[in-house]
Amino acid sequence: MLNLISIELYKIFSKPRSYIGFGAITAIVVLIEFALWLDGKSYLSFILQSLEQSFQVEGNILNGNLVCFIILQTLIVQMPLLVALITGDLVSGEAATGTIRLVLTKPFSRAQLLWAKYAAGCTYTFMLLLWLGVLALCGGLLIFGAGDMIVLKSDGLTIIRGDDTLWRYLGAFSIAFLSLVVVATFSMMLSCFTDNSIGPIISSMAVIILFTIIGTLDVPFFDKLKPFLFTTHMIVWRNMFDNPLDTSQIVQSLIILSGHIVVFFSVAYYHFTRKDILN
Amino acid sequence: MIKGFAILLSGLCFGQLIMAQTPRQLIAQVNQKFAKVNDYSADLEMKFDIPAVKIENISGKVFYKRPDKFRIRTKGIIFLPKQNPYYSMQSIADTNSFMAVATGTEVVSGVTATVVNVIPNNNNGDLILGKFWIDAVQKVILKSQLTTKSSGTIGIENTYGSKLPYALPDNIVFTIDVAKFKIPKALAVDINSKTKAADTGSAKGVGVISLRFGNYAINTKLKDTVFTEP
Repeated sequence: MLNLISIELYKIFSKPRSYIGFGAITAIVVLIEFALWLDGKSYLSFILQSLEQSFQVEGNILNGNLVCFIILQTLIVQMPLLVALITGDLVSGEAATGTIRLVLTKPFSRAQLLWAKYAAGCTYTFMLLLWLGVLALCGGLLIFGAGDMIVLKSDGLTIIRGDDTLWRYLGAFSIAFLSLVVVATFSMMLSCFTDNSIGPIISSMAVIILFTIIGTLDVPFFDKLKPFLFTTHMIVWRNMFDNPLDTSQIVQSLIILSGHIVVFFSVAYYHFTRKDILN
Repeated sequence: MIKGFAILLSGLCFGQLIMAQTPRQLIAQVNQKFAKVNDYSADLEMKFDIPAVKIENISGKVFYKRPDKFRIRTKGIIFLPKQNPYYSMQSIADTNSFMAVATGTEVVSGVTATVVNVIPNNNNGDLILGKFWIDAVQKVILKSQLTTKSSGTIGIENTYGSKLPYALPDNIVFTIDVAKFKIPKALAVDINSKTKAADTGSAKGVGVISLRFGNYAINTKLKDTVFTEP
């Protein structure tokens, strides 16, 4: 099985498109860090202007912890698209090139192949997220230094003491990983249904964009839909920076996200292990 | 009977003595008491209760040097009033720079205080109007309310302990008007947060900052570098 996974990983990393995600993340993170290094103080004073009318805010406000938080917030919309670009191609890509029949003549089951592709897709997702973490958190701390973290929310601020941030980031990245695995599973499920690689990638992106728009709009009708959308629960990583921590909301979202993974993978498994592979 | 009459008489005389002081004299006596302090350092504990801001208590160190050098050194982010805690003392340091009017007495924390309104002669300063509740016996400011151009109205309440002879409080509580706080969703990237239907400015209110001082070291000839070094 490990051999199969490493072969699938080799396939992923031998495609140039697999590096688009790493390149995009590098470009976005470096750009944001450069912009904040150059003009971060005026960005923050714009945000804090109503408080600064009454108070003097002292301390290292623009630090690596805040910069990483800003980057994570900005990238939350783009990351799933970068993941879907690869995982949406896992099965359909091979169907399109006609290699899937050849692969399935080897002495392992369809289920094993699907599991191996899934594990490789999750590993890719993990590596993408790890790269983001290294660039955003380590890079941010290196450039801007450590300090207390200001958590920006539209209706208020939470200040988290510097020595209380690392475990929160570990938790946030773990939740973000689970969220991205939902996207990876979803796009792989779509990938099992088609024989071209573009369809599942575009469909995954369209669904994510649609769900994100529904989540953004303050329309009462959409409020009823929001709890059922996985994109609503994908941003629960932000709750890791609440003080006190709302663990019930986090656990609830984790269960819902895990449920989505189980459902999407089950559908993919059911279809892939039974479908006629004709090309 | 005679004893009671004597107490009443002495009380009346004492009251007359206090009332006989002009507000300007009273402020001068307050200044005189605080003038014993050239510099000090102390441990500090800060508590914050600011609308729309969740921030934990923090401890640090505070430094002061006459006439207006003041610094709070902590390891984290803090919210401070725009004016230093001795802004009220500084604003009445020159007794010729304002008009003082006594408006009566009020009880503040169980102490009868003389209420003095201070109106600066010069309109160019930050202070528009100051109201001071002064303990005429101990010659200390118990409470002040400052209306400033830069920060609106600030309330300051002092509680004194062992450093009363130096007019240095153990606790200072600032009460500051806070404007409604709101970050645009696009800036906060708070995409799934729900806008409250009746968002009438719940975040607007009064911010309270409490400073608790301890381990005072007074007149130790603090170096100026304390106020500038990182």
